[in-house]
Amino acid sequence: MMITILYGTETGNAEMLAEDIAAELEADHEVTVTNLSDFAPTDFDAGTFYLMVCSTYGDGELPASAQPFAEAMAAAGAQLLGVHFAAFGLGDSEYDDTFNGGSQRLVDLMVTHGATQIGARVIHDASGPDMAEDLAFPWASEVVALACETMGEAA
Amino acid sequence: MSRAVAIVGAGPSGCYLAQALLKAEPDLAVDLIDRLPVPYGLVRYGVAPDHQGTKAVIRQFARLFERQGAQFFGNLAVDGPLLDELRANYDAVVLAAGLSADRALGIPGEDLPGVVRAGALTRALYDHPDADALPDLGRRVVLMGNGNVAIDLLRLLAKSPDELAGSDLGLAATDWLATQEIEDITIVGRSPAAAAKFDAVMVKELGKLSGVTIEVVDAGETTDPEGAKKIEALAGLSATQGGSTHITFRFGLTPIAAEGDGRVEAVRFSGPSGEETIVADSLLTAIGFEAGVEPLNRDRLITSAAEAGAGLIAPGLYATGWFRRGPRGTIPENRADAQALATRILADLAVLPDAPKPGRAVLTGRAGIVTYEGWQKIDAAETAAASADRCRRKIATRAEMLALATATKEPVE
Ligand SMILES: Cc1cc2nc3c(=O)[nH]c(=O)nc-3n(C[C@H](O)[C@H](O)[C@H](O)COP(=O)(O)OP(=O)(O)OC[C@H]3O[C@@H](n4cnc5c(N)ncnc54)[C@H](O)[C@@H]3O)c2cc1C
Ligand SMILES: Cc1cc2nc3c(=O)[nH]c(=O)nc-3n(C[C@H](O)[C@H](O)[C@H](O)COP(=O)(O)O)c2cc1C
Repeated sequence: MMITILYGTETGNAEMLAEDIAAELEADHEVTVTNLSDFAPTDFDAGTFYLMVCSTYGDGELPASAQPFAEAMAAAGAQLLGVHFAAFGLGDSEYDDTFNGGSQRLVDLMVTHGATQIGARVIHDASGPDMAEDLAFPWASEVVALACETMGEAA
Repeated sequence: MSRAVAIVGAGPSGCYLAQALLKAEPDLAVDLIDRLPVPYGLVRYGVAPDHQGTKAVIRQFARLFERQGAQFFGNLAVDGPLLDELRANYDAVVLAAGLSADRALGIPGEDLPGVVRAGALTRALYDHPDADALPDLGRRVVLMGNGNVAIDLLRLLAKSPDELAGSDLGLAATDWLATQEIEDITIVGRSPAAAAKFDAVMVKELGKLSGVTIEVVDAGETTDPEGAKKIEALAGLSATQGGSTHITFRFGLTPIAAEGDGRVEAVRFSGPSGEETIVADSLLTAIGFEAGVEPLNRDRLITSAAEAGAGLIAPGLYATGWFRRGPRGTIPENRADAQALATRILADLAVLPDAPKPGRAVLTGRAGIVTYEGWQKIDAAETAAASADRCRRKIATRAEMLALATATKEPVE
């Protein structure tokens, strides 16, 4: 199926992870990787499954590359009925109150505008023992399988 | 034949630049040269040892050398003559050498023993091979500066040993911290709290310290939302009580003199209600960095740059990161700067009339160069030597680094 991986980043970890996920999925799917800073709410397409990979900054806020997108969503009153997405978060449990707040904000934003979330959000902890890809690859294959069912397409 | 780019400085700016260049043009020959035998600049030697999450960008940088064809030439300091050689041999040369000299306060008494500067102290704490010995700070410390570096130092000085678990703070620094008998730290900013440079989240982190009692004097108020976050974070600290190390935040004080007979005994300030003297055994300054005396003559290059804003010094010679912009901005800002410069360099290379230059042949075979494989051996040794409560034990001397890097033994996996 058509998959677009959208990433929100400040120091590039989410971008590298997005590219690694794309490399994992490319054999079976048509995958594009796009920075959220280069993506407008009007670009969403009901025939594409969106994997959103996003870090957290400030105090539980979106990273810089995702902020213009969030503002555009609010300003345009985007209508995303029929759009399917899944979310993976990057964060650091050193920031305990706001741990992975960015990816949660992104999920809330998408859902508020009518999009449907596939699977649960999975989060990475920069202070934890796991490599982001060790969590993200199983997440990606699971949500892609779920999306294939939900969106009614063979992989 | 592909074009060749030499980047002087393998800190985050140099690495992000290499990343952006190679992402757009995987065939470019990109070389990162550093005066140290080890890469990553202040990600290794500036970012605090208890902020390992921030250091995780190193995984991106490792990929440059492991998969994307960039080469590391460590232990090679670039000076004027070598820069000329590089320019003759590479299609583009980029200066990403940072700024590492501590700025001075410019007040009388500043050369007294007991005045300690943040760059020098962090290098000593973080096992930089060119570091001075760790100083004795005494019981009462005045910490001048309100940036994130000042907050990092405040936090480290105030942490109890078990709060450093999981960090890469070395043995010498750990022992040193344990033997310092700091009772009072007064952190002083020239500006009001609302205009302080630190991030609110850095201040909030102090609230988690177990061994401190924090007092915030006159944080004031503001209508500016960014400033308000800082004041709010400071207000939250008043709940941090009961610990034996006293931390006092003071604002709006300008230092006039460090005073003392043979050693710092007090620091005199002027403030809104006149002059004030704070008794101190040491004055720690964290007020920024500058070029200092260095072989590249940075300040002259930047002031004479053809297009300083775009990072162009002269045809084929560029600058990025702290070296270009001055000592301001965090890792994300250097990434954005490097990405913009990569676009510019690629555009310039595309219209370069001359034939491609030979590139790295001018460097290979030079005595003493540490390659990426050499760094991998150092890295493996450091990781293997870590104690249970540390993630790494840095090698602190050049001699040991070089011995490890040039050892013929295969790295331990
Ligand atoms: C104490 C401290 C803590 C910090 N903490 C954080 C943080 O937590 N988060 C954050 O985002 N930012 C932090 N920063 C800021 C961050 O470190 C800088 O923004 C960033 O490192 C600047 O990158 P750079 O590559 O321009 O310079 P640098 O990181 O300084 O790298 C420059 C490199 O050039 C090399 N070099 C210098 N001269 C020569 C020469 N003549 N020839 C060859 N090589 C040379 C140096 O050895 C070094 O490796 C901190 C800074 C300091 C000082
Ligand atoms: C200044 C700063 C603030 C951060 N704030 C948070 C935070 O509030 N919550 C969180 O979970 N992670 C926080 N992080 C951690 C980052 O989200 C984490 O390092 C992530 O891997 C960065 O990914 P990126 O490179 O794609 O931006 C912060 C990191 C920095 C440097």
